[in-house]
Amino acid sequence: MVRPLGTLEQLVMDRIWSWARPVAVREVLEDLQRERTLAYTTVMTVMDNLRRKGMLTREKDGRAYLYGAAQTREQHTAAFMGEVLAGGADTAVTLLHFLEHIPPEEVASLRLALDDHLQGRKSTAP
Amino acid sequence: MTAPAVLTVFAVALALLGPALLSRTSWLERSPRIGIAAWQALSVSLVSAVVLAGLSLAVPAIPWTTDLAEFIRTCAMTIVAQYSTPGGAIVSATGAAAALAILARVVYCVVSDRTLAARTRKAQLDALALIARPHLRYDALVVEHPAAAAYCLPGRARQVVLTSAALSALDHSQLLAVLAHERAHLRGRHDLILAAADALQHAFPRVAAFRIARTELGRLVEMLADDNAVRHSDRTTVATALVRLAEHGVTPVAALGAGGESALNRVRRLISPVRPLGTGRTAVAALAMGVLVALPLFFAIAPASAAGAMAPCPAGEQSLAM
Repeated sequence: MVRPLGTLEQLVMDRIWSWARPVAVREVLEDLQRERTLAYTTVMTVMDNLRRKGMLTREKDGRAYLYGAAQTREQHTAAFMGEVLAGGADTAVTLLHFLEHIPPEEVASLRLALDDHLQGRKSTAP
Repeated sequence: MTAPAVLTVFAVALALLGPALLSRTSWLERSPRIGIAAWQALSVSLVSAVVLAGLSLAVPAIPWTTDLAEFIRTCAMTIVAQYSTPGGAIVSATGAAAALAILARVVYCVVSDRTLAARTRKAQLDALALIARPHLRYDALVVEHPAAAAYCLPGRARQVVLTSAALSALDHSQLLAVLAHERAHLRGRHDLILAAADALQHAFPRVAAFRIARTELGRLVEMLADDNAVRHSDRTTVATALVRLAEHGVTPVAALGAGGESALNRVRRLISPVRPLGTGRTAVAALAMGVLVALPLFFAIAPASAAGAMAPCPAGEQSLAM
């Protein structure tokens, strides 16, 4: 099954992405505390880690910081998948793709080969 | 001096002719497992021929006898003779340095590739934790994305990743075929096969043989995984899943032609199956690979045993005995 990797990060990002506005650590903490007990410093550390990873940006608002998502969930996903599918040098050493990139004209020849086969099977069937 | 020369000629011939010979053999696609072993045997043989050529320069042919005391004495004599001439010492040092440099380069590339792979894998898992959700029915992660794609992340946290577009492009049985294909990669640790080939290619970027081996191994592991998928699904289902994924995958502008060609081979292979090799041919292939891997060692040792059969040590040199 799926390893629970960085679940707290995931919960924090889920909230910030769905709220779609800059929030203070306390707001995130209060929302998370409806499900489990957490310390303020824990949530603050997680959010600061996310900021250092470039996932969150922060701005000063009076005495506190407000954190916002650097990209929307869609933008972030698109950027990540774009990198994975482009098969850059560093992902090439780890990932095994079901298919490599195929130019459109060659996709057509794949379809042709498959349809020929299906057609042939149909006509030879009794 | 014959061993280094023979080994060098062997290595050059293998590097130049080997890939062309293997690429032309239709056996390899019929039984991808044998194909993979054949390319690996070629690579191992090539590396060991070059390393042994260096080592046999460093250590001159020592007449081989069964009498241990005699053998040690002749060892000492030959080595002293080799190093007492300045030319001999230089040749030996060069040979040893070359052999060590090649080994060190291979080890360095393997280690640095594995380090990079581990780091990338961790980054991938961290990123997936934020954006992917586990599928309720299939053991796979799903990422919302308009291009159909399926891939796996090997290693300790073996993970299959599907895009939402792949889920909607494929029906249940096609999805099972894709998952069986990906799990075959994970179970068979196909990433390690490719990592070894990658490391050799990075270590010796100018040797075309390693580049060709990497490409061919990439093709063959896909065919091997297809063959595994066929055990759980109908051949046409696997082929259809492949074509549908290709049709729904958005192709980046700078697409490489190689992907299309190998995909077409895979589809053809799935819809008009070839018989896998029989036991007889498998045995012949295995024997040929064994010989291929053993040949460099044979070339390195043969001159020594020939020398041992011919000339016993001159009797007058007892002073050299240890």
